[in-house]
Amino acid sequence: MTTAIVTSELVKAFGRVRALNGLQLSVKTGEVHGFLGPNGAGKSTTIRVLLGLLRADSGRAEVLGADPWREAVALHRRIAYVPGDVELWPNLTGGEAIDLLGRLRGGLDKARRDELIERFDLDPTKKGRTYSKGNRQKVAIVAALASDAELLLLDEPTAGLDPLMEVVFQDVIDQLKAQGRTVLLSSHILAQVEKLADRISIIRQGEIVQTGTLAEMRQLTRTTIEALTRQPVTGMERLPGIHDLEAGDGPVRFAVDGEHLEEAVRALSQFGVRALTSHPPTLEELMLRHYGDELAAAGEPAGDVR
Amino acid sequence: MTTTLTAEAPASGAGASATRPGDALAGTGALVRFILRRDRIKLPAWLLGMALLLSMFLNGVAELTKTEEQRQDLLRIMEGATGAIFGPGYGRDDITTERYVVGVYGLFFFVLAALMSLLLVARHTRAEEQNGRAELVRSAVVGRNAHLTAALVVAAGANVALALLLGGVMAANGYGGADGLLFGASVGAVGLVFAGVTALTVQVTEYSRAATAMAGTVLGAAWAVRAAGDMIEDYGSPLSWFSPLAWSNQTRPYVDGRWWPLLLSLGLAAVTATAGYALSGRRDVGAGLVAARAGRTDAAPWLRSPLTAAFRLQRTGLIGWTVALTASGFLFGGLGEQVADPANMSEDRIDMFGGSVDTLLDGYLGVITMFTAVLAGIMVVLGVQSARTEETKGRAEPVLATATSRWAWFGGYLTVLALGLVAMLLIVGLATGIAAAVAESDGSYVWDLTAAHLAHAPGILVMLGLAALLFGVLPRAIGVTWAVLGYSLFVGFFGEIMDLPGWARNLSPVEHAGQPPLDDVSWPATVTLLLIAAALAAAGLVAFRRRDLETT
Repeated sequence: MTTAIVTSELVKAFGRVRALNGLQLSVKTGEVHGFLGPNGAGKSTTIRVLLGLLRADSGRAEVLGADPWREAVALHRRIAYVPGDVELWPNLTGGEAIDLLGRLRGGLDKARRDELIERFDLDPTKKGRTYSKGNRQKVAIVAALASDAELLLLDEPTAGLDPLMEVVFQDVIDQLKAQGRTVLLSSHILAQVEKLADRISIIRQGEIVQTGTLAEMRQLTRTTIEALTRQPVTGMERLPGIHDLEAGDGPVRFAVDGEHLEEAVRALSQFGVRALTSHPPTLEELMLRHYGDELAAAGEPAGDVR
Repeated sequence: MTTTLTAEAPASGAGASATRPGDALAGTGALVRFILRRDRIKLPAWLLGMALLLSMFLNGVAELTKTEEQRQDLLRIMEGATGAIFGPGYGRDDITTERYVVGVYGLFFFVLAALMSLLLVARHTRAEEQNGRAELVRSAVVGRNAHLTAALVVAAGANVALALLLGGVMAANGYGGADGLLFGASVGAVGLVFAGVTALTVQVTEYSRAATAMAGTVLGAAWAVRAAGDMIEDYGSPLSWFSPLAWSNQTRPYVDGRWWPLLLSLGLAAVTATAGYALSGRRDVGAGLVAARAGRTDAAPWLRSPLTAAFRLQRTGLIGWTVALTASGFLFGGLGEQVADPANMSEDRIDMFGGSVDTLLDGYLGVITMFTAVLAGIMVVLGVQSARTEETKGRAEPVLATATSRWAWFGGYLTVLALGLVAMLLIVGLATGIAAAVAESDGSYVWDLTAAHLAHAPGILVMLGLAALLFGVLPRAIGVTWAVLGYSLFVGFFGEIMDLPGWARNLSPVEHAGQPPLDDVSWPATVTLLLIAAALAAAGLVAFRRRDLETT
């Protein structure tokens, strides 16, 4: 089998709001798939449908070759899940919650559990009500990652984690990837998934608007560069793929298409670079690239978001 | 400016006590309005509900004080050990409606006023801190003591309003307004005391529920001390005076009303509130005086299935309910002899206790058993509601994302509640039976009362089934079960006296068990009820399997 998740024409409405509007998602077995979209785009709803917690109004979803609504329990033995908003039982400790969730899934690896608790620097003896958001998140992450699930559905797993823990998280996901497991990783910040994801799907208003590898997407997007140089920068406007150039007495700023980045940097280096910052395309920019007109019409700034 | 001073105070750390008093109270007015806005339904509901209840009691009791025989019945409740449960019993030599309502039902109003006040104070102080909302509010121009002060101001205002309202109800029903106001003030004084006590307990623990439980324990202890004191001596012994509830009884409205005991209440309220302020100044936002304890590193080996998980989450509640009902069963079981003395008993009461003078004690025990069963029903409905809370708070979601089916998850809850109910009725039945057996020197009561309690299990299981069905089909409406529960209690107490038609009585699931131990256990009814309960629960499970999981 080569695909872990396939959905076609998935529709889910809550009252008059159509949360999913003909969603087409495909995740290959063994890949880390970034699932990107702004808040309220339908990421959590999609994941809940894939878990059989919600029933789609129409369309088809197949997870590991089975219908997630009908065969929820059998499937869940092979799936691990981290909810976007982790709530713990007030009077159970974090350690108890991890064990309970692990055992209900069909057992967890004690050594791996302890290792993960150690790596994530989690105190398992505290009661659920006393954990901060980040620590609640860690409890759910440890419970999910200590399993031997084939497929991991992670709904904004690093929201609330500090940067150090995010590095640990990325490291652990890399290990899972090396073991050939499939990961669906949702986020509303591109930077959080770009280090890990093989492919990315962008969801907007309940539809997948773009799917591809990051490199493919980068081709379509621009990197913003800001540099301080010894000599005034001239002639950049003649290079291909340069946009929004601001060159004067101060620092130079421009956006460059992904495919022309190399030439631009080479040209810039001739002027003696003293300081250089480059911003990779943010999710907003990926979105704006395709929907700039629409958003501009809605009154949002369509230029550099960051 | 106040702004800069309050902003600097936390930064300087040691300067806490140097802050001017006005700064610590900054923003209190706004918070008072905020509390009133948030409780705009809750608070009037408490006040009007209690006013309505008083009106109902007055009208009901007026029907029971018409003849000499009826007054003899009431005297039975007002004297001796039974009387001491409710109060010292002033005015029982010449019972009138108002004396009886104030002397016996007064206890209900004391307890309700205490609950209203302690829940209000905890809700707007510790609960706010626990949820992190207080932090947000305190980061604005709001002083250190503003939260506590605002909650106490609202609590004091609510109790003053309550006093006036209850006095007004007494006056409007034609009973003296001055004594009515004294009664109202006595009730409000209990509320004030427990607002003060809660101001203290919310400083001690980090958790709102623990603070509420502590204040509730003080209330229970206050009642026990007063009841014990009043049992020792007629009209109260020195021991009684150690209880704030006694002070409100000792105002003796409608007998020889006096106001001075309420000074003690005001004093205690002031002392406890002051202690609350003192402790509050010594701790950080969100912290308690008692540090949270560390728990287990890993789960107990048995915590490994949906069933055991449901048990683990319900355990505290099950134990608490069993202990409380066992204590009350033991108490009521031992009082049978006195209450069921047929001398001078009115027809109404004989009807309520089964209709025959020869079996009055069994009839009385039957009413007590029914009462216990309905209280057990409260636990069952609360249990289903806590399953619903698990769902809406998002705690069911990760569990149902494991290899746990909807059947197993909700079925686990229902199984734990059903087994817990049966175990509880068994234990409470034994306790009641032992108390009755000792009081009557008749060992057969142990078995009879245990069987009687268990005979009520099927009726309560129907309530559980109903709540389960609603959980599956229309989860927002689980509360409807409360109405059925209340109706069952009403039918059980007054169905006979009020000559309710048979069909109206049969609507109560509890009614079908009869009045054991007075009646024999009816096996056909038992089996039918069990089948109905199972069908309702199964329908609820099927419906839950077919609906979306709802998270907020």
